[in-house]
Amino acid sequence: MSASLDKLLANPRVWRGRDQARHTSGLASGYPELDRHLPGGGWSPDSLTEILTSQYGIGELRLLMPALARLSQQTPEQGFGEPGWIAWVAPPFQPYPPALRQCGIDLSRMLIVRPQDASEILWSAEQALSSGTCAAVLLWPEFLNDQAGRRLQLAAEKGRSWAIAFRPLTARRQASAAALRLELQADAQGTRVHILKSRGGRPVVVDLLL
Amino acid sequence: MKSRACKPPALGQDATPTPAAMQQSLPLELGGREPTRSGAHSRGGLPARDTVQHLWFCVWLPQLPLEAVVSTGAPGTPLAVVEEHHGIHRILMADAEALAAGVMPGQAANAALALLPTLQLEERSPPREQQALEELAAWLERFSSFVSMAGPDVLLLEIAGSLRLFGGLQALRQALSRGLRELGFAAALAIAPTPLAATWLARASRRVCIRDTENLGPALRRLPLACLDWPASLCEALAGMGVATVGDCLRLPREGFTRRFGARCLLDLDRALGHLADPRSSWRAPEHFCGDYEMTTEQADRKLLLNICEELLQAHESFLLARQLGTQRLSFSFFHFKGPATELRLGCARAERSAARWFDLLRIRFERLVLPEPVIAVRLRGGMTQPLQAESGDLPFHGRPGASQRRFSIAQLAERLIARIGDQSVQATTMVAEHRPQYAWRPHSLLADWSCNTHAEPPPYLQRPLWMLPEPALLPADSGYPVHQGCRLRLVDGPERLETGWWDEDGISRDYYTALRPDGRRLWVFRNRNHESSWYLHGYFG
Repeated sequence: MSASLDKLLANPRVWRGRDQARHTSGLASGYPELDRHLPGGGWSPDSLTEILTSQYGIGELRLLMPALARLSQQTPEQGFGEPGWIAWVAPPFQPYPPALRQCGIDLSRMLIVRPQDASEILWSAEQALSSGTCAAVLLWPEFLNDQAGRRLQLAAEKGRSWAIAFRPLTARRQASAAALRLELQADAQGTRVHILKSRGGRPVVVDLLL
Repeated sequence: MKSRACKPPALGQDATPTPAAMQQSLPLELGGREPTRSGAHSRGGLPARDTVQHLWFCVWLPQLPLEAVVSTGAPGTPLAVVEEHHGIHRILMADAEALAAGVMPGQAANAALALLPTLQLEERSPPREQQALEELAAWLERFSSFVSMAGPDVLLLEIAGSLRLFGGLQALRQALSRGLRELGFAAALAIAPTPLAATWLARASRRVCIRDTENLGPALRRLPLACLDWPASLCEALAGMGVATVGDCLRLPREGFTRRFGARCLLDLDRALGHLADPRSSWRAPEHFCGDYEMTTEQADRKLLLNICEELLQAHESFLLARQLGTQRLSFSFFHFKGPATELRLGCARAERSAARWFDLLRIRFERLVLPEPVIAVRLRGGMTQPLQAESGDLPFHGRPGASQRRFSIAQLAERLIARIGDQSVQATTMVAEHRPQYAWRPHSLLADWSCNTHAEPPPYLQRPLWMLPEPALLPADSGYPVHQGCRLRLVDGPERLETGWWDEDGISRDYYTALRPDGRRLWVFRNRNHESSWYLHGYFG
């Protein structure tokens, strides 16, 4: 029985999600209890991550800051040809530079793009992702259908860049090409991270103190 | 050569031309023979360097109005340029075919058309003549480092410094006249040690080459006054006195001549003869590019227009390449038959000359450009140029193993974004050493001040929110506590008192708190101390 199972698994046509994730090492999120549940032990930087939130100000940026700080300070010796730029596409408010600096972000590598309409948001994000110069692209799309999500995912893979799309909770029912989908929920006690979808991982709820 | 002060009566020094000097004049068009030098100075054709400092080559373009006109008809169509005088269009200049058919300068346009119905008439256009002259001057810069414009149809080159490079006077002259012929200019050429003498000799179509100052006088004496470009009234007055040539002028007493005709003419004569210095200003080819493409009919085909733009960009690239320059800005003008031109401006983060890269940016913008009407002409204007910095590419083994090649740099990315969504919409930020939160940072354009950053570090113990509102939002209050969207806020941290700003009349007096909503959101609020009960929301701890 075991031998026949092994034979079956050795067939190249059998795709095993878990093994896929093992090959790539994740980018440590800075929150060990979250890393434990993410495939590869951290964020998967060459793909699309979706973060679903209902509100601003519940720690949606603080969740990313340790990883973004590492990316923005990466020097060429550590892999990237150019230290990673971080692009913000259509942020809802002004990302406040002193606070970003406190989090360790290199401000000279920040690009803030404010497109005028929804299609330009996606175009700008896709350009930034596929350029290969941005280590991370944060975007707040007005809409993101399956096709647009797939384009972002492809652009992220092509440019080896990390796409992070912030979306409302209503997007939860939509299908998505994202490698990782998180839902953030907060109450007075703290923020709860609900991993909705994770390529090579399992859906799980993680309590974080952000 | 006695000093003029002792011998005032005559304008010139030598009363009679010496035959030896006259032999120096020889036809310019006779190629293959170095000018023979006679007399005691002859040293095997070498220039007498101790006596000649400057040598001016004058190019006079008597037919410039005709040559500046672009013929739109079939080749061989007779062409004439007309000018309006008192409401009547008269022929100013006609080409050989028209002249052969009997068209004459001064003729009325109707008379000329009656003689030759196929005659193509063009209005004279001084701006176009100037443009043609400048193009020619730019071309002439290859022969000399000093090209000067001496009038609407006269160009002067200082060639003493160029003789060795071009293999002697004869070779230089041949190269020049051949080039002018190929460019389609019928030019009268003359060489003389002073700029004015060269100009006069060229205007008189004397085709001479004078290398020494002492031979100038004899050559100039025979020139009619008409070629001096003096006012017509003055020439008439002199003619009335029986003075018809420069030699006649030089025989007049200096004082009387000045009194009657003004000092300017005397100065001209002295300058031409080399008695007075005649400094000229050097003309430089413009360091910015301006290229036009005119179409015979209006075009609305966007693909064709894009091709024209590409052609202009290639001309722009070769212009910059010759000068090792790049530019950060470009502008295209699409001219319409009626109505104002449509402008399209492009910007680049770094000085750039590559036509392919500019074209890439243009395509992004052109997609959304609205052309209200068909286009009759396209103009490309280059911006301020700057020396181009060479960029070293990555070696193939540098890069992340297995990584896809970097497609474009951050500068190129910024340019692409700016080209589509506008300069104001793509920003970088920098910190400012300032305690007032709204002034503690500043956006800057990626195109203008690249990589400028102050090193203000916020102390880690201060609470600063990751999201800031563009303007503080007024919050209602409930028994002294701020209320946000119906929820009374709990103040969990603070106050942090921030005060003053007397230096720019935007002083603040605020107590900042970190506030918590029951649903877990953290807010940055402040109480204005000037108005006791007013609370404001200034940011979110995102």
